[in-house]
Amino acid sequence: MISLRWLREFAALPDDADEVARALSALGHEVEGVRRVVAPFSGVVVARVVEVRPHPRADKLRLARLDTGAGEQEVVCGAWNFEAGAIVPLSTVGAVLAGGLEVGEREIRGVVSRGMICSAAELGLAEESAGILVLDEGYPIGADFASCLAFPDALFEVTVTPNRPDAMSIFGLARDLAARFGVALRAPEGEEGPTGAPTTGRAVVEDPERCPRFTAREVRGLTVGPSPLWMQLRLRHAGVRPINNVVDVTNYVMLELGQPIHAFDLDLIPAETLVVRRALPEETLTTLDGVERRLDPEDLLIASPGGPLALAGVMGGESSEVRPQTSRVFLEVAHFAAAGILLSGKRHGLRSEAGARFERGVDPALPPLASARAARLMADLAGGEVAGGFIDLYPAPIEPWVVPLPRREPGRLLGVELGARRITGLLTRLGFRVTGGDPWQVTVPTYRPDVTRAADLVEEIARLHGYDEFPSRLPKGVGEGLPVEEQRRRRLRRALVAAGCFEVLSFSFQGSDEVEALGLPEGDRRRVPVRVRNPLSEEQAFLRTSLLPGLLGALRANAARGRGDAALFEMGRVFFPAAGELPEQPSRLAFAAAGRRAEARWEGEAPERDAHDAVGLWEALAASLGVDYQLEQVVAAPFHPGRGGRVLVEGKAVGVVGELHPAVAARFGLTTRVAAGDFDLDALLAPAGIRSFAVPSPYPPAVFDLAFDLAEEVPAASLLEAVRGAAGPWLERLELFDLFRGGPLGEGRKSLAVRLTFRHPQRTLTDEDLVPVRARITDGVGASVGGRLRGG
Amino acid sequence: MDDTLAGLLAVEAEAMRRLEGATAAAAIEALEREVLGNASALAEARRGLRALPEGARREAGRAINEIAARLAERLAERRFLVAAAEEASRLDAERLDITLPGRGVRPGAAHLVMQVLEEVTDVFVALGYTVADGPEVETAFYNFDALNTPPTHPARLESDTLYVVHGPDPEGVLLRTQTSPVQARYMEQHPPPVYIVSPGRVFRRDTTDATHTPVFHQMEGLAVDAGVTFADLKGTLAHFAREFFGPGQRVRFVPHFFPFTEPSAEMLTSCFSCEGGGCRVCGGSGWIELLGCGMVDPNVFEAVGYDPASVSGFAFGVGVDRLAMIRYGVPELRFFFDPDLRVLEQYR
Repeated sequence: MISLRWLREFAALPDDADEVARALSALGHEVEGVRRVVAPFSGVVVARVVEVRPHPRADKLRLARLDTGAGEQEVVCGAWNFEAGAIVPLSTVGAVLAGGLEVGEREIRGVVSRGMICSAAELGLAEESAGILVLDEGYPIGADFASCLAFPDALFEVTVTPNRPDAMSIFGLARDLAARFGVALRAPEGEEGPTGAPTTGRAVVEDPERCPRFTAREVRGLTVGPSPLWMQLRLRHAGVRPINNVVDVTNYVMLELGQPIHAFDLDLIPAETLVVRRALPEETLTTLDGVERRLDPEDLLIASPGGPLALAGVMGGESSEVRPQTSRVFLEVAHFAAAGILLSGKRHGLRSEAGARFERGVDPALPPLASARAARLMADLAGGEVAGGFIDLYPAPIEPWVVPLPRREPGRLLGVELGARRITGLLTRLGFRVTGGDPWQVTVPTYRPDVTRAADLVEEIARLHGYDEFPSRLPKGVGEGLPVEEQRRRRLRRALVAAGCFEVLSFSFQGSDEVEALGLPEGDRRRVPVRVRNPLSEEQAFLRTSLLPGLLGALRANAARGRGDAALFEMGRVFFPAAGELPEQPSRLAFAAAGRRAEARWEGEAPERDAHDAVGLWEALAASLGVDYQLEQVVAAPFHPGRGGRVLVEGKAVGVVGELHPAVAARFGLTTRVAAGDFDLDALLAPAGIRSFAVPSPYPPAVFDLAFDLAEEVPAASLLEAVRGAAGPWLERLELFDLFRGGPLGEGRKSLAVRLTFRHPQRTLTDEDLVPVRARITDGVGASVGGRLRGG
Repeated sequence: MDDTLAGLLAVEAEAMRRLEGATAAAAIEALEREVLGNASALAEARRGLRALPEGARREAGRAINEIAARLAERLAERRFLVAAAEEASRLDAERLDITLPGRGVRPGAAHLVMQVLEEVTDVFVALGYTVADGPEVETAFYNFDALNTPPTHPARLESDTLYVVHGPDPEGVLLRTQTSPVQARYMEQHPPPVYIVSPGRVFRRDTTDATHTPVFHQMEGLAVDAGVTFADLKGTLAHFAREFFGPGQRVRFVPHFFPFTEPSAEMLTSCFSCEGGGCRVCGGSGWIELLGCGMVDPNVFEAVGYDPASVSGFAFGVGVDRLAMIRYGVPELRFFFDPDLRVLEQYR
């Protein structure tokens, strides 16, 4: 969380949190929320204890006389951790403490107490506290204690995009905001102040590529204790837990400047020497979170001659951690290459504030400033001395770089001419130096590693100018519109929807058991799926080779909820291993329908679906595409061996329809027949020829019926084909209207009856015309499928 | 003849009387035959006219015709009334409960995400874009490298991206994490100008929860031409928001970061729920993040062989599932992969 008060220490920004939030968002720093914080108490003033004396009637209580700035007053107090001279928070009558307790005038054992001296817990500043809160010198007597603690404040929850490491600090955001509001930016304090004798610590960098800059500085004579309240509060508001004055200072400066800092207890560093190097095989390190980690040779370490001390840029180690008795610390303030830190953090599953900054790229110019700032604060707050002999190992300094910006480039990309003055002004406000004619030579500060090209500068110009300030235009493209394939895909979708099917979406994964459940024969390509190398689970370990398992799972899920009557379909890709650049990934269309053909009806239950329903759905699809097809009986897993049909369009097999093999359905937990179809969607989507129009004849039709006695194994399609083949050009309609078995027919025979409608384009057909046609058909059917005309 | 006429008038009166009580079509037919048929008194009288002298014949003939006409008219009138009554009673007997459910196939439904995908596609097709398709299993080159994603970018990590076993490089082939690789493939194959949208499935290594599924849908858009600017990007995407959400929709653009665009932006749209006032849907800000966009990064142009100095363009990517969630108030992404008919029926 970013504190508005803290931001305002660096620039004269508006006091209005909403205005600042809007500015942050317009700068590209997304504000997820604004939290307003007020002191958990009111009516508390800073007072000095003038005199303490025993309570006349109670051994455990004392009376304290205090200077409140506006006069003196006496209160009863039960705490013993202070004496005369202490500066304390005094709640006066009418004050409200944490938890809503209102302070009133109370008589305690015969003495009237007008107010009370408060503990940190009573003020809501700590979970628990022993004794009252004794403040440092420097709190002005009589001041409102809440304002001394920087209340009220507004905290912004800001998400910084990964390209902006410079904005991962109070100062960095203040710099952007100052540019936005056009106000001056105050430089951070970076004076180390007076220094003592030179440090005895040493540092060596063995891997300057991964650690281009390493600085170290000693602070000695420290007394580890809690840090002051204001710092604790700032850390808490930023989401960092206060630990002690040494560690808190490193965190405070990191939050403020964006530079991670690590404090080693110098007395715990063997040979007082830091070595920056890669980990050796088998080395281990117990990090500050108490986890012992096996190190990888790619891990960069801060080590001593005695072994690893810290995972560089990510997390410190336990062995050199600052302890209550620490008096000398060695501050490591370094610059690490971003990529290595990112990978180390990921390798060990470690997220830290330091890692989050280094992995994006911290300003290499920052370490001396941050080190001085931290050392001074530490010495001031923990009562120590900054040692002389600042170590700064920076063999190949990273200098600001120059990016040429053609003068026409901003206008070309942004669509509006801002003018040279405005452009150079905007860039200068952001800390860029602009010189030269055309192109401009723009010097980029080291804290902006994301700016290396003209396009990056154009973004900076647009960002600071304000995206909302640019005009809007609506250009028209020159594309060819909706492709035919997409039009056909929509027709197929509409056809199935009109036929009562619901479209479902399944994940593109499958488990090995689903492949097994389809019961496919050896050699079927669907048995050999593409493997996901890092799947989320066993059920998602492979890419699907068929849409059917998803649909069957969906049918089962609905059946389990009492919705066994369902027709579902999906269009999507399946995947097969292939030799080329990528696996093969054809598109398929599949449907699966189980249970009754319609919902419960008042006319009586609709029949259960079977293979013919699947054929009917295919007919709807074929009609939507306007294609002719052949259907032939086929044995094809996972379909029922006697109830499957192959669909051919222009002689090419495009799919299978029918009923699923009951054993397959059962393995998916389905007990009813499942009408299903599985098609090559790419083939169906391929553009088809345009059908030409046929003028209907105005003459009356001639209609007659023929019934044939056929062997059971003769497919209806063959009979129809034979009839059509023999009927000649006048045949207009051919309908199969009756099927029956048994009765006068022999065993293994069936009767199929067709109705034929004939029409001549230019005249009325007569009986004389049709007699030979009828004979041709009868002969043709007899010859090609062995059918005998019945009742003929 | 006078007697005959008197008789005919009596027949007429009798017929009229009987007609009054006739309620069946058959009775009327019989009566008609009786009074107007060949064997009727009227026919007999007509036949007798021939014997009359000229003057009397004309007079008597006229009288007979008048009687016949009156009878015929009355018969027709009665026949009509009876037919109407009969039809009324037949229809009454056919009365049924029209509120019973109808007959025929109840349509199913296209998936909501597909409906939205088609609709968004159509918005851009109307602006002169075409649709480009690409593989779902993609090379790391097209998914990352060609889109200016550095080798160390966290999106490439195994924790974020699903890789598939194919070829020698374990990180060479993956389930595309965005539809953007289609831009690179399309630009390699087609010289500018380019105006395309590419909708489709994308994948992330996310466990299913309220806001994550390992599979979801994105639509990538790309416009590359001479002189395409940030102003064109703003206008095009604002148009899209108005087409999709309604003419009153307001949009804002704020800077953002994507490896493949520079400058990059995020488009926010006024919250459809509170219309900008701030509510739970928009987290109180009044604005909803709708999509990411930006001017195509010069490195992307170079990777596909375009000259970044002579063409410019913008690209955007929008979550189709997210659009559907926002517009229809679907609270959790996982519902889109739920085959529950109680969910699917709502997509009708």
